[in-house]
Amino acid sequence: MTTAAQSVTLKGLAQEEKTESQARIIFRRFRRHRLAVISLILVSLIFLVSLLAPVLTPFERDAIDLSSKSRPGPPGTIDMEGRTHYLGVDHLGRDLFTRVLYAARVSMSIAVLVVLISETFGALVGAIAGYYGGLVDLAISRVIEFMLTIPSLPLLLILSAIFLRSDTVLPLPGFLSRFLSALLLAPEREVQKVVMLVLVLVFFGWLSAARLMRGMALSLSKQDFVEALRAAGASDARIIFRHIIPNGIAPILVSASLALGGVIVTESALSFLGLGVQDPTPTWGNMLATSQSYMFQHPWLPLVPGVFLVIVSIGFNFIGDGLRDALDPRLKR
Amino acid sequence: MTNYLIRRIIQMMLVVLLAALFTYFLFNISPGGPLAGIQQQQQRLTREDLARLRAQYELDLYWPFRFSRWLIGLPNGPITIGGRDLFANTAVGCYLPRDEQIVIQDGQRVVTPAGCDQYVYLADIPELHPAIRSSNGILRGDFGRSTVIRTGQPVWGEMMTRLPATLELMLISTFLSFLIGIPIGIYSAIKQYSRFDYTFTTISFIGSAMPTFFFGLMLILVFTVFPNLLQDQFPWLPKLPPGSRLAVRPYAVAEWLPRVQPGTGMDRFLHLLMPVGVLTFFYMATWSRFVRSSMLEVMRQDYVRTARAKGLVEKVVIVKHALRNALIPFVTVAVLTIPGFFSGAIITETVFAWPGMGRLYYEALNRSDWPIALAFIFITAVLTVFATLLGDILYTVVDPRIKYT
Repeated sequence: MTTAAQSVTLKGLAQEEKTESQARIIFRRFRRHRLAVISLILVSLIFLVSLLAPVLTPFERDAIDLSSKSRPGPPGTIDMEGRTHYLGVDHLGRDLFTRVLYAARVSMSIAVLVVLISETFGALVGAIAGYYGGLVDLAISRVIEFMLTIPSLPLLLILSAIFLRSDTVLPLPGFLSRFLSALLLAPEREVQKVVMLVLVLVFFGWLSAARLMRGMALSLSKQDFVEALRAAGASDARIIFRHIIPNGIAPILVSASLALGGVIVTESALSFLGLGVQDPTPTWGNMLATSQSYMFQHPWLPLVPGVFLVIVSIGFNFIGDGLRDALDPRLKR
Repeated sequence: MTNYLIRRIIQMMLVVLLAALFTYFLFNISPGGPLAGIQQQQQRLTREDLARLRAQYELDLYWPFRFSRWLIGLPNGPITIGGRDLFANTAVGCYLPRDEQIVIQDGQRVVTPAGCDQYVYLADIPELHPAIRSSNGILRGDFGRSTVIRTGQPVWGEMMTRLPATLELMLISTFLSFLIGIPIGIYSAIKQYSRFDYTFTTISFIGSAMPTFFFGLMLILVFTVFPNLLQDQFPWLPKLPPGSRLAVRPYAVAEWLPRVQPGTGMDRFLHLLMPVGVLTFFYMATWSRFVRSSMLEVMRQDYVRTARAKGLVEKVVIVKHALRNALIPFVTVAVLTIPGFFSGAIITETVFAWPGMGRLYYEALNRSDWPIALAFIFITAVLTVFATLLGDILYTVVDPRIKYT
């Protein structure tokens, strides 16, 4: 009796060991990429810090400290009320630590929004192209090919030069505008430009996701289970949303995490060139741009936003690399 | 192959045409433009003055006509067939737009165009837009005239003064990045998972993820700003010039070195160091990663195993069997650097105030010099599709297994 019971429990244990959940396998494999883990920790820290930005700093984002003797002022400058500017003040006397945290919030939000919208849109378009094939596929593939052929940075610059400088007001619904204002910790009137920048970045952002998903959908739609689903009377929408997209999601996840780094760099580059988000809304890019004029006397100025930018950009790339290893089904280790 | 080429070339022309149309349309709807400043500053301009100014920039024509004049130089007047003017009375633009209405909306003044008092007809074009002033069409090799940066001067001339700087920068950094990146990629692949491989894979990773503008600023900090600030303590630290291509007056790199005269080879070399460093690091990272993965792919092939199995020396296996095949995809991707030789590196050129094409484009965008920006986009697009085609053709040359039909 006891032996039987024991063998049952042993069997159960063995079973449990075998059916390690998918998520745990992925996590275990991800953990092996040491740089990816370090990156994940650092990026999460910056994420957390940007979430807690208003709590972590006593200063207001645009508050000007008139007491500081030199503007820009070095790290450790103390204002009239005895509060310390840990990273100094910028050329207008605004606290740099505060601004870099708020900038983290803006830059991260833009990146997440852009990636979320463009990967979703791209995956959807790609899935439709791959699943239906024929003329639909031809049309979509040609559009993607065309957009990949034309030089993207010059066009990106044109688009942002045009949309961010114009006075056209996007008809944003009130709740969205309020939500974004809370997300970016910026007044509602500044939200407009950020939304335009997001749209401009999405314009070129959805291509890789669409291409990836198209390839996946093309091969998936020829497989027997899709045929079976069709025979069972499942609608096209159901097949696409419940079967094609979930099955092709792994490469999209990897591309999304790489894209996060890419979008942050592109957004900073645009803001650095003065064609992205404008002061007073802080982003790492426009902080770097202003620091360029003062760096000869105040060399720490570009370092403050730059270090954040580099950590996040390289970090997302390493995380993407780690995810690729972890999600690769060929590596069964 | 001939059929394939013809089809591809037609496709290419279509892509370039669409890209040109798209950018032209974008510039058309964009605010600013050559007249933005004038309209705001000078309230006293009469309607006629304004109309004349608009006509000078061809803004009186409707944009599809303006586009076709920019592209092929047509229409340049009524179409004459057999001595009879056709379509002479077709309106192609509006010379005198009617006074704009000012509508008060929530206390805001909204200006809306309300029609046209005097149309431009096809027959008016030779008189209003004499051939001497306007472009003959970009397809006939006339890139029009700059409106802001070099007002009235041909765009082509301005580009030709900028091209040498960009060529110098891009050729040197592309060459260096090949020279460094390819061997690193090959060696990394041969010694996969070795310490060398890990180090250089990580460095390449950082190189391709590092924003070039920040890396550029870092170099300026290290090689210009710090030596300047620490001059008293460490007078022997060398200082590099942080911007431009040539100096204006003699300068000293370090106390213990002779002064550098402007315009000399040494001056050029010193100015090149930092921008070339940034671009080389960035491209090197890309190339070494590309070569590594393509080499790894080849090393997994059966014919490499066969070569080893029949007892060839490892060196022969790698050089004759693996490397030659690994470089096939590389050749086809390497030609994609061609458009860069023209368009330059917009961001790096801006950081180092390098007087090249990328910076010209950036200035043109910032100062609304549309003809220059359009010419830049057009030529870049042509070169890009051309390079893509060249890559595909080279593919059949280096890999006879591939045939296009």
